[in-house]
Amino acid sequence: MIEVRDLQVRYGERVVASVPELDVHAGECVAIVGESGSGKSTTLLALLGLTEGAHVSGNIRVCGVEVLQAPERRLREIRGARVALVMQSPQAALSPTTRLGTLMRRALKLHGRGEQAAQRGTVQGDGRGKVRRIMVEAVEAVMLDPGILRRYPHEISGGQAQRFAIALAIALGAEVILADEPTSALDVTVQAEVVGVLRRLRAERGLALLLVSHDLALVSTIADRVLVMKDGAVVESGPAGEVLAEPSHPYTRELLEALP
Amino acid sequence: MTQTRVAEEPVRLRRTLPKITDRFAAAGAVLIVLVLLATILAPWLAPYPVDRLAPVDALLPPSGAHWFGTDKVGRDVLTRVLYGGRTSLTIAVAVLAMSAAVGVTLGVVAGYAGGWVRDTIMRVTDVFLAFPALLLSLALAVVLQPSVTTAIVAIAATWWPWYARLSASVAASISTRGYVDAARCLGVPAPMIVLRHVLPNSLTPVLVQISLDAGGVILTAAALSYLGLGAQEPTAEWGLMVEQGQTLFTTNWWVVTFPGLAILVTAFAFNVLGEGLRNALDPRRVVK
Amino acid sequence: MTMLRAEGVTLGYGRTPVVHDVTLDLTDGGVGLIGESGSGKTTLARAFLGLLTPTSGNIWYGQQTLKKADMRAFRRDVQPVFQAEALDPRMRVGASIAEALPRSARYRVPELLDQVGLSPDLATRRPHQLSGGQRQRVVIARALAVGPRLLILDEPTSALDVTVQARILDLLAGLDTEHLLITHNLAVVGRLCRTSHVLFAGRVVESGPTADILARPAHPYTLALRDAVPKLGGEPPVARGRTEARPAETGCAFRLRCPLAAPECATAPALKEVEGRQVACHRAEDVLG
Repeated sequence: MIEVRDLQVRYGERVVASVPELDVHAGECVAIVGESGSGKSTTLLALLGLTEGAHVSGNIRVCGVEVLQAPERRLREIRGARVALVMQSPQAALSPTTRLGTLMRRALKLHGRGEQAAQRGTVQGDGRGKVRRIMVEAVEAVMLDPGILRRYPHEISGGQAQRFAIALAIALGAEVILADEPTSALDVTVQAEVVGVLRRLRAERGLALLLVSHDLALVSTIADRVLVMKDGAVVESGPAGEVLAEPSHPYTRELLEALP
Repeated sequence: MTQTRVAEEPVRLRRTLPKITDRFAAAGAVLIVLVLLATILAPWLAPYPVDRLAPVDALLPPSGAHWFGTDKVGRDVLTRVLYGGRTSLTIAVAVLAMSAAVGVTLGVVAGYAGGWVRDTIMRVTDVFLAFPALLLSLALAVVLQPSVTTAIVAIAATWWPWYARLSASVAASISTRGYVDAARCLGVPAPMIVLRHVLPNSLTPVLVQISLDAGGVILTAAALSYLGLGAQEPTAEWGLMVEQGQTLFTTNWWVVTFPGLAILVTAFAFNVLGEGLRNALDPRRVVK
Repeated sequence: MTMLRAEGVTLGYGRTPVVHDVTLDLTDGGVGLIGESGSGKTTLARAFLGLLTPTSGNIWYGQQTLKKADMRAFRRDVQPVFQAEALDPRMRVGASIAEALPRSARYRVPELLDQVGLSPDLATRRPHQLSGGQRQRVVIARALAVGPRLLILDEPTSALDVTVQARILDLLAGLDTEHLLITHNLAVVGRLCRTSHVLFAGRVVESGPTADILARPAHPYTLALRDAVPKLGGEPPVARGRTEARPAETGCAFRLRCPLAAPECATAPALKEVEGRQVACHRAEDVLG
């Protein structure tokens, strides 16, 4: 799903992220771990060609699209539809005067999902009913009540907003979810729910998950592989169990010791 | 790095907008300085004496002798526009200074104190808001002589409640910030907290609003002049000139157009400056 | 010795109370106040700081209620360390710290910065020019300036990177002040607090020695909180009950979220003593197993 080789992101002379190798396969969860300024978020944005004003070099293949060579139009097709970006506070990205259902319907229309589904015959019914069914199914997949579609963004909690963002990705048929600190603004109990949803989707639908986080404990419980970044460089990478049980780099050890 | 990036568009906007507005702001400031200079230097710049009547030269179109033409009684429009700026800008500055001083003081106190203090101040504010500016000016004109001063007092009396409302709501939100609580916990006296933390952090939106309002004040003053409650003939004042010239627009366009343009340019300059202030006053932009 | 004590405190901003009838001692050895956003923990902290007057009940400061106490002494004794926007964005951080000092003691600013592990050169910076960890240290320095005996810490580290968080916790643990720590993070409480209180929907649902509470929660909510914390290399965090359910209006507030909810939960449980702690749950014995 994601294949990165020799990625380098520079702002002027300053290298903010340098990733020699990063692969994420379907049904796999890879985590990039590091602190503020380590380049982990930049790496994520680079995958979607969203690093404005930066020099990006190397090879990035996302869902079969060469991100660095592809025209903007091609990129827009994968962004949102096939690759979804989930951020720390999705509420900020939701228009406050639009009901969540309306918002989701517009997104589906924008990406022509209703028609696609009709052609493939994956969903029964026609027109609005079909779109409605996609929406309800997506919302239920993240364990939300379909009633949420009638609500406005300010009426829902942070955890619900985060799950709605994931539901949106599912409705659009995303194959890859890029999540940037998706739970760090949430209460632990709510975080547990969101993490549960992500794990289930990965297992049931073979979603590929690239998670950016500073929480090593959280990462250790869901990631298959881990990349540890510091000051823009990958200092250590490998299977999550190995890296976290026997860290070879002093920085990884420091991160582990810092856990309360 | 962990900062939320909503989407591609806002990021791009945020990066380019400040630069543009800064340039605009500079342009606004330059324009205002030019307008100020022109009005201050009016006695030297004006080609004719301000009150020179020449009925023979009435309603001459713009020419080499009269760049902006002449009005109904043969006065040079350029001269009157230059002198008129003195009156109009004085009104604008005086009204805004008075309304801001009263409005912001009351508003910030109301916003910080809350409770019955805020309720009382806001009720008084509402009473003033309920009077239309013109009605209040009429009343004032009965008591006082119609003059520029009367106009200033009348407009200010109806203008300050807006600043009181705005600053009360901003101050109320500032008062819930951690640093205000921290100051309270340090035992800093309330007046000090208001002066040191609440007021400075509430000012930005008010300053921006003030600069956006300058044009409106000039226009309101013009309306008062028209009703005979503000500047009186033969005082040169932009609003008065516009009101007097508007009936001639189809036949002698220059009489109304040039003072009108003067108002437009000045109002625009203040607006642009307001935008610039908004950016300049953002603490995150103070010398990196 | 107990410096501050809440007795039957009910707090609210509008008509609906956010905190219901809470009785709580700020004992020595660190006290933790644990709960999710909306649990009323920050509101309670503001009451302990004298920023909010209880609609009923009292905050006791020594032998006096806060209403009658000598506030000058109180302000010297009790200081907050908040997280969000605790520093005036317009002020240089040196000036922010100086605000806590009498004019004649302003020279102590560099010394205070040094005490919290910052270079005195930073005094001339503005908050946005500092990192999150540095800002938090400045906030601590300002609180220490008055020589407090008790710090009220509201999520002092939750926005920080783990390594920074660990250093701030080290700094706090090394101070010779008592503290009330408010957080949603159970792991942090374990480090700093001997006693803990778990707050749900404005009510204390479990209180006791932190170690006991964390090892064997007696309230289903405490259990849910504990199991939601991811453990390094451990099982994925468990979500017990759905968090969206609103607190119940009658009976046990937690019952709509509670996997153990039984018919008797329709009546509000009183705090009772179970295995060395106070629990407000009809089924505490079942939770303990």
